[in-house]
Amino acid sequence: MRNFSSKSATPYLLILPYFLLYFAFSLFPVLFTFVISLTNWDGFSEMKFIGLSNYVRLFTKDPTFYQSLYNTLFVMVFSIPAQIALGLLLAVLLKDFFLRARNSLQLINFLPYITTPVAVGILFQVLFDWKVGTVNAALVGLHILKEPIYWLGHAWSARLVTIILLVWKLFGYKMIMFLAGLSTISEELYDAAKIDGANWWQSFYRITLPMLQPIMTFVLITSIINGLRLFDEPQLLFMSESQPIGGPDHAVETVVMNFYYAAFRNFNFGYGSAIAYGLFIVIFFFSFLSMRMMNKGGESEK
Amino acid sequence: MKNKRFLSFVPVYAFVGIVSFMAIFPFYIMMTMSTYLSEDLFTGIKLLPGNYLIENFKTVMAVNFLRFYWNSTYVALTNTIGAVFISALTGYAFAKFNFRFKKVLFYFILGSLMIPPQLGLVGFVSEMRFFGIGNTHLALILPGIANAFGVFWMTQFISAAVPSEILESAVMDGCSTMRIFIQIVLPIIRSAQITLFLLFFLWKWNDYMGPLVIISKEALYTIPLSIALMGTEYRTDFAARILALAISTIPILIIFAIGSKHLIRGLTAGSVKG
Repeated sequence: MRNFSSKSATPYLLILPYFLLYFAFSLFPVLFTFVISLTNWDGFSEMKFIGLSNYVRLFTKDPTFYQSLYNTLFVMVFSIPAQIALGLLLAVLLKDFFLRARNSLQLINFLPYITTPVAVGILFQVLFDWKVGTVNAALVGLHILKEPIYWLGHAWSARLVTIILLVWKLFGYKMIMFLAGLSTISEELYDAAKIDGANWWQSFYRITLPMLQPIMTFVLITSIINGLRLFDEPQLLFMSESQPIGGPDHAVETVVMNFYYAAFRNFNFGYGSAIAYGLFIVIFFFSFLSMRMMNKGGESEK
Repeated sequence: MKNKRFLSFVPVYAFVGIVSFMAIFPFYIMMTMSTYLSEDLFTGIKLLPGNYLIENFKTVMAVNFLRFYWNSTYVALTNTIGAVFISALTGYAFAKFNFRFKKVLFYFILGSLMIPPQLGLVGFVSEMRFFGIGNTHLALILPGIANAFGVFWMTQFISAAVPSEILESAVMDGCSTMRIFIQIVLPIIRSAQITLFLLFFLWKWNDYMGPLVIISKEALYTIPLSIALMGTEYRTDFAARILALAISTIPILIIFAIGSKHLIRGLTAGSVKG
């Protein structure tokens, strides 16, 4: 194995393009952003080094940061469990009950995930519109509501619509992940359980759920990381002249929206960079926490 | 699971039916609404298509939509092809070669998966401005060609799917490393390539924040940016706006309808190893 030995330069040449591109366009920007976060800079004029002031302001004097973090977490707390429950249930049912229609049902439920988020935001703006909205028309038409609701005009309903949007958009992705996980579980386990007289719910609870634990960890962590980065959909959902940032009472102003407005609308590059690092710390904390929790859960099973 | 009584099927079918209906209904409404005159949309739910599609289409085309279409296609395609190739090349090295610092470098790549893309955005925009490409398509194409997820994925796939014996006998026959990679490795990992292609293309095509902070010239807009900004310009012409959404969604739907089997097979293969 001449060519595959450790003396040859070949493997280094193979990985070189990746690392060059990574350093130039990913790692350098990340480090540079940290330098910028220690300055007062608008992106054009001279940088002024101000030490950790941006971070002091972010963590001690900026209620908007905590409010946007709260808004983001609020939406996540309701939407992620719903996405996971719906995705898991659908995956299990598709696998057990829909042998022939499985592929087309898979695709149908996956469609919301692949649709451009910008389009989803506008589409939901239309569906939940006060006057033209399909949702109001249907609810009034079916006599569930007497009066149309101004969905995008109240803080509580703005959050509700955002949660519905996220569940609608993301449950199909969860379903695909769980279907991938399910296909790795050996059929023999189920056959053995059936011989022992287990019913469908018992084998779901005793075999499927524990065997899906690794994929569940993965799904949960990626959901948290992506959830904390929420931007496109609420930004578009409430993008009109009459709405403040993040909808009524800023109810759905997320951390990344906060970051975007600070850095790229108010051209406060220094403070915007500090918000980005603040978000990174939060993401790191939550990923670490959920990994610890899932590992503990796994150990107590054994 | 074959001895189910008929009754237990009914709620299952009903549930799956309702969920699937909810998943697809907004698309249907989007399609039908795009075939009406805007004023008519205010008169109630439109379940059947109308006859104003051509007129709405003309309105959409009047804002240079084809140009934005081309921009999105070109940016997404160049980035995706580059990213899939680099991922495969790097994955090949990690899967089939032994070299010093291999473990450290691989963990470095895994660790970089934790970094959210927004973290370096301010620095990236400043860097691009410094190099004088701050308002170009190149600044959209370059980031993400080095994709940590892609490398991780390809490393897993290649070490499982490509037998080392074939590679060794090719070396014995005097094949160069690049020839082995292109003529032997790449054909074997075709399904992994398709999976990554679909995912990368989707991410780049749908990306909104990148173009939003990098592109300010209208001729360079991508589809998400154009429909986001068209929203504010077209406040009055609801139907045209919805048609623009429908048109922007269609290519992705077609690509995934063709490739979804590969995607699911590819994801499954990845999770077997991971």
